[in-house]
Amino acid sequence: MNTPSRVTRRRLLKDTGLALLAAGSAPVLSTPFISRAMADTKTLSIVQWSHFVPAYDKWFDNFARDWGTKNHIEVTVDHIPVADVAARAAAEASAGSGHDLFGWNGAGGAHLYRKFLVDVTDLVESVEKKYGKITVIGRQIGYNQDDKTWSAFPDYYINFPVMYRKSLWDGIGVVPDTWDNVRIGGAKLKQKGNPVGISLGHSNDPNTTWRGLLWSYGGAFQDESGKHVVLDSKETVEAVKFVAALYKEAMTEDVLSWSDASNNQYIDSGVSSLIINPISAYRTAQQLNKKVADDIFVMKPPKGPVRQIMGGAAEFYGIWKFAKNKEAALEFLKYYADNWVDAFKASSGYNNPIFANIVPKPMPLLSDDPTSTPHDKLSVLQTSDEWSAVPGYPGPAWPATDEIYNNFIVCDMMAKAATGAMTAEQAVKWAAQQCEGIFDKWLHRA
Amino acid sequence: MVSIAEPVAKSASRYRFILDQRGVLGSVMVAPAILYVLLLVGLPFLLAVYYSVSAYTIYDPTWRFVGLSNFRQIVNNSVFQETLANTFLFTFGSQFLGLVLGKFGALLLMRPFPGRKIVRALIILPWAVPIALATVAWEWMFDSLYSVINWTLISLGIITRSEAPNWLGNPHLAMLCVIVVNAWRFFPFAVVIFLAGMTSIPQDVIDAATVDGAGFWRRNYQIVLPMILPIVAVGLIFGIVFTFTDLSIVFLLTNGGPVGATSVLGFEGFQVGIVSGDVSHGAAISLFMLPVLFFVVIGMLRFIRRREI
Repeated sequence: MNTPSRVTRRRLLKDTGLALLAAGSAPVLSTPFISRAMADTKTLSIVQWSHFVPAYDKWFDNFARDWGTKNHIEVTVDHIPVADVAARAAAEASAGSGHDLFGWNGAGGAHLYRKFLVDVTDLVESVEKKYGKITVIGRQIGYNQDDKTWSAFPDYYINFPVMYRKSLWDGIGVVPDTWDNVRIGGAKLKQKGNPVGISLGHSNDPNTTWRGLLWSYGGAFQDESGKHVVLDSKETVEAVKFVAALYKEAMTEDVLSWSDASNNQYIDSGVSSLIINPISAYRTAQQLNKKVADDIFVMKPPKGPVRQIMGGAAEFYGIWKFAKNKEAALEFLKYYADNWVDAFKASSGYNNPIFANIVPKPMPLLSDDPTSTPHDKLSVLQTSDEWSAVPGYPGPAWPATDEIYNNFIVCDMMAKAATGAMTAEQAVKWAAQQCEGIFDKWLHRA
Repeated sequence: MVSIAEPVAKSASRYRFILDQRGVLGSVMVAPAILYVLLLVGLPFLLAVYYSVSAYTIYDPTWRFVGLSNFRQIVNNSVFQETLANTFLFTFGSQFLGLVLGKFGALLLMRPFPGRKIVRALIILPWAVPIALATVAWEWMFDSLYSVINWTLISLGIITRSEAPNWLGNPHLAMLCVIVVNAWRFFPFAVVIFLAGMTSIPQDVIDAATVDGAGFWRRNYQIVLPMILPIVAVGLIFGIVFTFTDLSIVFLLTNGGPVGATSVLGFEGFQVGIVSGDVSHGAAISLFMLPVLFFVVIGMLRFIRRREI
């Protein structure tokens, strides 16, 4: 009869040791076979945000895979939520390991991670030679003024035009082409149950829109050199006073809590009379509410007392210095630039070109969009490089301007005055003090 | 005469001799855990301490020592002061609410009723659901356009559309919302703690108090609560530490808004250190939690020791 053997301490140690030894030696024994298999296949890994136009992601994945098949390179594309991009970049840089090609969205990246990124000046200059001069907003993305190099490939920017309900604005006989008209007409339409919807919350949209308003009033938080804070000015106070009036007269307090999706929902649901947003809001309306979509019209940002300008969001690719396949990343970007018109079409005109002739005018879709009535409804977007700027305007984008953006200082300056928590003058002083602190910090370290 | 063979003594290996010593074997067994704590908690902690006194940024990864200047700068910033106050309010507000709800939940679950086992299992759900998923649901409930709470109140005729609260847009209500969501998350833990404590009280003690004329409230506040206080305090320590260092609810629900009204230290540290790349100031903001938590935990542990029966 077999008696169950007793588990002694020695036996436990022996068995556990053997199990660990077997588990530990498995990779060692299999390494020669695996490494040979891996050596035969080159890889390229890409990470970028989940695009607001899902069809673009599908197109990009297929495009990248096809390129990989042609070149015998296994390409993987990871899409991450836009809010996770900054944290992912920090994690990859700290670990010195990650994807080969990193796609940034919005503020930050190219300047902040400059020391971690491959110099892509040759690539950008060759694409510029082929597809025309880089636009002003394009040069604000990834270009280092000090040594005239590029630390990232400028892919595209997202513009923020006005989207308004034509029938409602025609009904009151006002065209929202100036900020004053937006306030005056917005007040009338708010009475009718159709307020203006521009977020005063903590997200990208208000960060972009209120900068545009600030600039159009002649204010800015830094000068052209990017060395001095110039926020505390008469122009800024006027801009802040205007926002307080716009909030009280033409908007509701809902805007204080909004995320980037809220203003889209506001106009798509038929409530709002005007928002300032990329055309994703209109594209969504086309799918959800055709009647409202047909009534949504697009125009340039409102004129201010000094200029007509609006913030734009920058998109760019960086190649990590620690990337395993830098050559493949560079080759892929070259091929991508040569097929940029397809990318533009796949994004339904959401991705705006950086190089002057990369999408020749009249641009497909924007000049003649078969899904829109009238077909030239979006044609004004072809000129958006004339009225779009990235957050550092009129100076360069650099880590301090990014931190001001990430800390929502311009949004909070406007919101503090709008809600009456501070006077316009106090709000501007508070914001200027915050900006000074951030500039002091970064100037000593830059 | 039968001779019995003498057992041949095996030569003991030195290896066996060492591992047969109780102290050595114990140390060998505990070593992986200690190593794990040192590598994954101790080293990052020391690294964070050094970051906080250096000029390290992602832009310029230098280890230049700057003393306490990072701490001086953040302490003098009005936004940081507001954030610190928010963190205390968020932590203690949600712990208080969680404990009150936990106590009532435990009282209800002590009584026998049909389906009690299912309810006990279901009550753990808020704790088990991933926070990202749960916060999306809460965001929908507090949404300015599609708030389920407002819709219900309006449908019941309690308020009109114009009177509907702007849950995440009003600074006070937004703080209340993040407190409620965190209390909702902490509440199952509190229920379990209270249940564990209450079931461990001998029935004789309760019976004796009842015979002596103690009513429901007296039994609860003069007998039960003092007896379970040490175990509740241990639960509270966990709750305070986890909430004080948490950023997920604020990050997902309000992004620190409106106008910074719900920004807490964890969120601020993440924004400055990771998103903006100023690692040294981010570390300094995060390390600010350490002395606070240290004194809270020491105070509570001393309290528990004194109250131990």
